[in-house]
Amino acid sequence: MGSLHKISVSVFFVFLSLTASGGDPYRPSAGAGEAGMGYVCVMKNGFWSSFHNQALLADNTSFSFGFNYESRFNIPELGTRTLGITIPSGKASLGALYSHFGYIDFKRDMTGLACGIKLSNKINAGVQVDYFSERTTGEYSNHQALTFETGLLFKPSENIRLGIHLFNPVPNSIRKTYLPTTLRIGAGTDLSKILFTGVEAEMSSGNDLIIRTGFEYEAARNLWLRGGFSTNNNSFCFGFGYLTKIAKLDLGFTTHERLGVTSSISLIFKIH
Amino acid sequence: MVQRFANFAVKKKAHLKYIFILIFILNSLSVFCQETKLPERIISIAEELASDESDPEAVGAYIERLHDLAENPVRLNSSDENEISRLFFLSDFQVKILADYVHSFGRIITLYEVANIPGFDKETAEIMFPFVTLETKISMGPDSARWRNVSVTNFHFKSGNKDTTSLGPPWKMLSKYKFSVGAFAGGLTVEKDPGEKLLSGNPPLPDFLSANLAYTGKGVIRRIIAGDFSARFGLGTNLNTGIRTGLSLSSSGYMSARDEIIPYTSTDENNFFRGVAADLSLKNLGLCLFYSKNLSDATLGSSTGDSNNYIENLYTSGLHNTSSLLVKKDVISDQTYGVNLSYNFNNIKVGLIWSENRFSLAVNPSGNDPKDNFEFKGDRNDLYSIYYNSLIKRILLYGEFSSNGYSGSAFVQGLSFRPSDRITFNFLLRNYSACYVSFHGKGPGSGSTTGNERGILGNFSFEAAKHLFITGGCDIQQFPWLRYRCSAPSYGLKQEVRARYLPTEKMAFEASFNYRSVMLDSSENTGIPKQMEVVSKSFKATFRYIVNENLTLGSRFDYKISDPSSSKGMLLLQDINYRFRHLPISIWFRYCIFKSDSWDSRLYTYENDMLYSFSIPALSGEGSRSYLMIKSDIGKKAELRVKYGMTSLIESRENITENRELKVQVRLEF
Repeated sequence: MGSLHKISVSVFFVFLSLTASGGDPYRPSAGAGEAGMGYVCVMKNGFWSSFHNQALLADNTSFSFGFNYESRFNIPELGTRTLGITIPSGKASLGALYSHFGYIDFKRDMTGLACGIKLSNKINAGVQVDYFSERTTGEYSNHQALTFETGLLFKPSENIRLGIHLFNPVPNSIRKTYLPTTLRIGAGTDLSKILFTGVEAEMSSGNDLIIRTGFEYEAARNLWLRGGFSTNNNSFCFGFGYLTKIAKLDLGFTTHERLGVTSSISLIFKIH
Repeated sequence: MVQRFANFAVKKKAHLKYIFILIFILNSLSVFCQETKLPERIISIAEELASDESDPEAVGAYIERLHDLAENPVRLNSSDENEISRLFFLSDFQVKILADYVHSFGRIITLYEVANIPGFDKETAEIMFPFVTLETKISMGPDSARWRNVSVTNFHFKSGNKDTTSLGPPWKMLSKYKFSVGAFAGGLTVEKDPGEKLLSGNPPLPDFLSANLAYTGKGVIRRIIAGDFSARFGLGTNLNTGIRTGLSLSSSGYMSARDEIIPYTSTDENNFFRGVAADLSLKNLGLCLFYSKNLSDATLGSSTGDSNNYIENLYTSGLHNTSSLLVKKDVISDQTYGVNLSYNFNNIKVGLIWSENRFSLAVNPSGNDPKDNFEFKGDRNDLYSIYYNSLIKRILLYGEFSSNGYSGSAFVQGLSFRPSDRITFNFLLRNYSACYVSFHGKGPGSGSTTGNERGILGNFSFEAAKHLFITGGCDIQQFPWLRYRCSAPSYGLKQEVRARYLPTEKMAFEASFNYRSVMLDSSENTGIPKQMEVVSKSFKATFRYIVNENLTLGSRFDYKISDPSSSKGMLLLQDINYRFRHLPISIWFRYCIFKSDSWDSRLYTYENDMLYSFSIPALSGEGSRSYLMIKSDIGKKAELRVKYGMTSLIESRENITENRELKVQVRLEF
């Protein structure tokens, strides 16, 4: 039984290093809408995007909450369940995120408390405090880590948005557990009222530079089509979203050169 | 010809309306720009110099020159060609045009007006911004009779294991003092490298101590310097202790700026003169005379076994932090003297240079390495040169021929052609024979020495569309004899294409592709080494955005592939510069994540740093590099800068190395 645990944990780490969402497996890749665009979201408004760049939180003017499920390569053991909530409060907005990954022998939970604030008409800033917990069975030890992430959003014009996000700038010597650092920089523009495109660069310590590009097209009223491409494993992405009276439903699919497709579904409810 | 340029400029005055609209915004921005960012092309050149391992001092001299310009900006409205030519990165064309423009149309009102002068563009104007002023008189100039004193002191501390072989403390210190009063100016430079003793010798003195006193006049005597000075004449193949021309494939020109003798304020501990120099001028005739006797570092050898009686090699790093290195310090005397005579005809300037270099001991390279076959032997080196430059309509021709007796020669011929105001072509041919040696020369070329090189370089600079600038160049090099790390005659190739897009005054995009090929010895062979072609291809993209007058952003990513090892290097970085509105404080922050498979694919990144200091780390391995620098004005007379940097290298998840550094600088003006 012990050896079985070792094998499953090894398989997990192999898959973890090949995640389609980037080189950093610690942060939850939440948001089916974002997945459909290849996670080009460091500058794009959206419920889940606010947890990819907390500066975007400040533009969330509604009390919202949402659920997301990501099935990595359709392997149940590699599923991630995420719950998020945003609370507007004047110039600032607050957010909370909980994510659970894994299965009985390996679990990773992440809890984040976020705040985004409008500094001016052109600048937003945000920060999120994260707590990670990793639990394994058998002879492997458990790990906990506390860190933070921060982001900035700039709006040079009505149609152009620039986003910068830095995850875990804390030196590893301060914390005994290793956590990679990730820098994301992106720019997006509304080419028209119904078409948004963006490009993003991401680099995590110890991993290759990733360039992503994606688009979102409003094909019909309340119906969005999305697509994207990431240089990480030459991954193509697509998806769609539909807004109903009570909630927004998003589906996203991300391909991997060898391992298949990762699918995501999310539901977002806006109270007002 | 120059007048024709100026007349053409009248048409451009139509753009002034647009310029005046921008004055309000841009004046404030330009002030901020001066403080926070260097133009991208300047940074690229600095990184290119830093990557040249054969000439480690070059980047220091280059940055030093930029700091000097920033401290003592060029007075554009002086219309004095000598003054404007201090902008060493401008071509001779541009210097003449600028001077004539001010002569013909009066004062330049805003720096952005420069972009509309024929021969200039927005990109060139942007490069000039941090280093020019529109004031006609500034306090450092010879017209000011007021005492002005400036002192800058830097301390640099680094974490890491203490080297037990070092003689002194591990921190580095640099202190500079300059004064000016009327036509007189002077300076003092003191430096201690890491591991060196603060005071050594008898009498105890700092490891490096340099001083100068200069007089600058407007009549026959243009300048007299006593103490330490730097000199450059012609194209530099005979004498040039400053920076080398032809620094970058995207240079706007390759002709050296004016002949000059300037007070030495840099920290290269060997390549400067110590003595007296005079620059005289009578109408179109120019005469420079100098005499120097300096002590230099060397490794000495002995043929009799009991005393050192010849020089094995010159030691140029300036580091004396161990007993064995301290032995090399100031062991020979280097006596150099010479004269530069030039005459300006209407369209042509011609000059003659003679210099002689005498060492107190003969140079006799050790060993039987065939590479050293053409190395200098003896204790005396005479150099004779003739040079010219001529402007014929839109063509600038320049050249220089130098010879050290019958043994070696150097020949450089260049051409700049400007068929229209939107495009410029440059060509440069050079031929340095293997036995040509100039100890204080630095002509246009690819390496640190002016010898054993043939090459041809061509480039163009093109304003392809409004706001879009494209430059490209190619340099083909041949090395007819063996050289360092290459045991056979070899060749090299450099290519570069660069595009710059400036959609608004607040945004700049730049992308460049570089190709470098060089022959090196293969390390895998025993016996006579075989050669292999080492090729590196790199792509760099940068984006700069001035959010408002207080905040500037800069993003960059680099990608590099090096063959035959097929190693890859890449990085992503973000810069944020912020100046507080109501406090005299500015901050610079950078976070950079990098990854390279080997040293071959390392990447260089220019960092904001202390005044008269620079930091261009070579990033290799996997990890991150971040720094925070704070500058605070203390009253009107003092400034404090503190920089804290950290490089984190990941060997494995359990083995992460973190190197920290702290730099502190105090600048006083009184």
